[in-house]
Amino acid sequence: MDNFKWTRKDLLSLYDLEAEEINYILDTAQEFKKVSQRNVKKVPALRGKTVVNFFVEPSTRTRMSFELAEQRLSADIININASSSSLKKGETLIDTARNIEALQADLIVMRHSAPGAQSLIAKNIRCGVLNAGDGAHSHPTQALLDLFTIREKKGSLKGLKVSVIGDILHSRVARSDVWGLIKLGAEVTFAGPATLVPKEFENIGVRVCHNLKDALIDADVVNLLRIQHERQKRGFFPSTNEYAKFFGLNEVSRQYLKPDALIMHPGPINRDVELDSAIADGTQSVILEQVTNGLAVRMAVLFLVAGCVEK
Amino acid sequence: MPAKKEVCNGSEVQAAITRVADAIISEFLSDNPREFAMIGLHRQGVPMAQRIIAELESRTGYRPELALLDISMYRDDIGMRKTLPIIHATTIPFDMNDTAVILVDDVLSSGRTIRAALDAVTDYGRPGLIRLAVLIDRGNREFPIRADYVGMKVDVSDDRKLVVEFNEINGQDGVYEIDWKKYRRGDH
Amino acid sequence: MKSEYILTGGKVVDPFRGIDKIMDIGVKDGKIISPSQIPDADKIDVSGKIVAPGFIDMHVHLRQPGNTAAETIATGTMAAAAGGFTAVVAMPNTSPAADTPGTIEYIKRHTARDGVVKVYPCGCMTKGIAGEEMAGIGSLKSAGVVAVSDDGRCIQRHQLMKHIVQYAKSFELPILDHCEEDGLKDKGVMHEGVWSTLLGMQGIPSASEELMVARDIIMARAIDWKIHLQHISCRESVERVRTARKRGIKITAEVTPHHLSLTDERIKKFDTNFKMNPPLRSEDDRRALLEGLADGTITVIATDHAPHTATAKLVEFDYAPFGIIGLETALPVCLTELYHGKILSISDFVAKFTKGPAEILGFSMNGLADGETADITVIDTEAEFTVDADKLRSKARNTPFKGKTFKGKAAATIVDGKIVFNEL
Repeated sequence: MDNFKWTRKDLLSLYDLEAEEINYILDTAQEFKKVSQRNVKKVPALRGKTVVNFFVEPSTRTRMSFELAEQRLSADIININASSSSLKKGETLIDTARNIEALQADLIVMRHSAPGAQSLIAKNIRCGVLNAGDGAHSHPTQALLDLFTIREKKGSLKGLKVSVIGDILHSRVARSDVWGLIKLGAEVTFAGPATLVPKEFENIGVRVCHNLKDALIDADVVNLLRIQHERQKRGFFPSTNEYAKFFGLNEVSRQYLKPDALIMHPGPINRDVELDSAIADGTQSVILEQVTNGLAVRMAVLFLVAGCVEK
Repeated sequence: MPAKKEVCNGSEVQAAITRVADAIISEFLSDNPREFAMIGLHRQGVPMAQRIIAELESRTGYRPELALLDISMYRDDIGMRKTLPIIHATTIPFDMNDTAVILVDDVLSSGRTIRAALDAVTDYGRPGLIRLAVLIDRGNREFPIRADYVGMKVDVSDDRKLVVEFNEINGQDGVYEIDWKKYRRGDH
Repeated sequence: MKSEYILTGGKVVDPFRGIDKIMDIGVKDGKIISPSQIPDADKIDVSGKIVAPGFIDMHVHLRQPGNTAAETIATGTMAAAAGGFTAVVAMPNTSPAADTPGTIEYIKRHTARDGVVKVYPCGCMTKGIAGEEMAGIGSLKSAGVVAVSDDGRCIQRHQLMKHIVQYAKSFELPILDHCEEDGLKDKGVMHEGVWSTLLGMQGIPSASEELMVARDIIMARAIDWKIHLQHISCRESVERVRTARKRGIKITAEVTPHHLSLTDERIKKFDTNFKMNPPLRSEDDRRALLEGLADGTITVIATDHAPHTATAKLVEFDYAPFGIIGLETALPVCLTELYHGKILSISDFVAKFTKGPAEILGFSMNGLADGETADITVIDTEAEFTVDADKLRSKARNTPFKGKTFKGKAAATIVDGKIVFNEL
């Protein structure tokens, strides 16, 4: 590890990263987590650097987490969101990004509804690009905070059985978690109704199942995804009540859980739909720790990407 | 190929550590003994601090507490180096406030690392006193910083890098000079 | 330009007459003539080359009128000539759409002025390609269209489609259909499969194409008229066409060079030059298309040349328009993949670009027989061809083959006896 070199100016997807790089980020995050536990919760690592939070799709949690991470690293911050940007006036995404770069920004933290939008920007500008979510494709810092939380609680990912349950089809969290989990040696199960869990994931070694019991019974970690009501209108499932009954983690289905299984959720939770309130707030839940760890992971990633000037 | 050239051997390194220990004993543990703690800067400041502590303990019976400090987050050259350092664990087992602390590092050169270390230390509290102990002072200062306890002075030109090795990490003690550019390229 | 000359020493491959041998071909006043009748004419040495009847690309978007920033009749036909095509069929989804004789007249007038190769206009099946009301198919025929199509879209109302097939049959106009069921396609941007699943992009299932292929086969059988399926892309379509043709149904199908050579995996870097409709599908689908070509299920290779400006393509993958250019890369890609890849003999290869389209379009031609129009494509099967985007004749640069090297290319293109492209 001592001879490891971080050489990426962008963080776009965990698909691109080697296991060694993922571990390096998690190790680095370990130290940044301590910063937030001090009295002085700030380090000068990014002093004089300008970070632009460019959110073409609305976000509350991820943006807040990134913004706080940037503040704790002493960066200067500009926030641009879709409603205030020129995109509404017909400017192309690349032109907007080039304008941001022309202001001598060092890093762009970007969220966009179209898969690959950040890759397009990263290829066309010099400053570093951090993907804060691109459609259903990727959300690497969410996956890293999930990995960090699991590693912190279980020691290692190797050989762990991790079940991700819910709307896999539309989930960038699932698509990011899966690469990190596989690369660090975990066994991944995706579960939910067949309308929301594509069997194609079997091609990369994921177990796909459509029965909640099978997904829960030997899981060391259960990650529940948010069920969006608009999917119901598009006919992916008949009602949130029926979803909760067959695929929600509730008083009935919790009997299958191992006593030491971790309960995770990327938030925001639909209480009593995918996850019963009592379980969300219970002793097995690490949902709020995920939020805390998200800050540490984002500090680490900002630090690493900002630190790399040459490819 | 200008291979790495030995500047000091193992016994010279040990002698330098002893000189640092002598100076610390004379300030803190002689006529008017005072408590103090040590802060080893990752990486080579850590084994050096451990060596000093061992020597202090065997000679005086006093064992100062040891903090480990990584100053990567406080550097002023983020984005200017080709690669990032590995961040090692910072552990501070004592309350920094009003404590006398001795920063320990292997080589004092530009003074930038110590500048960063001072920022880091003061973010953890308000020490009563800060001293600096180094194995080697090689000159080439860029900041107005000096060491209180120096094991030895070494004269080398700007384009050479001094590398200190400790038995605990590298398997043997020694000081070497190598080509700075090659070091930066990671050929060492 | 010489009005008479003899192409000497080339290997003449003429699928219309089943000829595949080394012989000389004479040209005089725009017609093929026996070399013995023009003994004093200039000799053009084409030894080592293939001399074939002029290649027809029956699926091209010239973008004029309406989007001349992307392509014009002048640049598009220049690209066609450089690609070895002596004629193209121009799809009607221009702006305005080619749904009236006036627009057809416009295209013919501009072709007469700017065209480097022949342009056969195709008319719309429905007004404005809206899929709602039948276009004036009879008038379009009188204006000179060779077929009708709503390419780019597919008529979803089956009864309207039925009436159009019946009506077109009355005017002996073939139907060229883009098969796609809108509900299953939805907002899909790439093939629905492993890669769309991994990339989190909405997929276009093969079933969207297969449903309408099946619909068209039913129509062709029930109405007993020619329906040509444009750019089929998946195994299921090939299998349905194979079965239908065995039963004697008047169904034909074309495939594009890109569906024969590329798969959906290439989209993983989000390059919009790999975005087209129908989308690049799986390796299994690609294999099925090759099998379909080899066994005669698919009788035509056509490019679906679809120029877009760089600005239009340099956007998020979801927002980029579908389509890539293909005229100048078709022969290099297909010679490499099919001829050197030993999928097709040279004679079958030539037929997919000549006899195949001519039969569907009802062209009465007899290859390079004496007295025929001197539309000739000369091919160098061995020359290396590297795709240099800056040297393309097309106005557009949206090719997925940028920088790639292929084996084989057009060496000369002759239209009405005139050498319009010459790299001999």
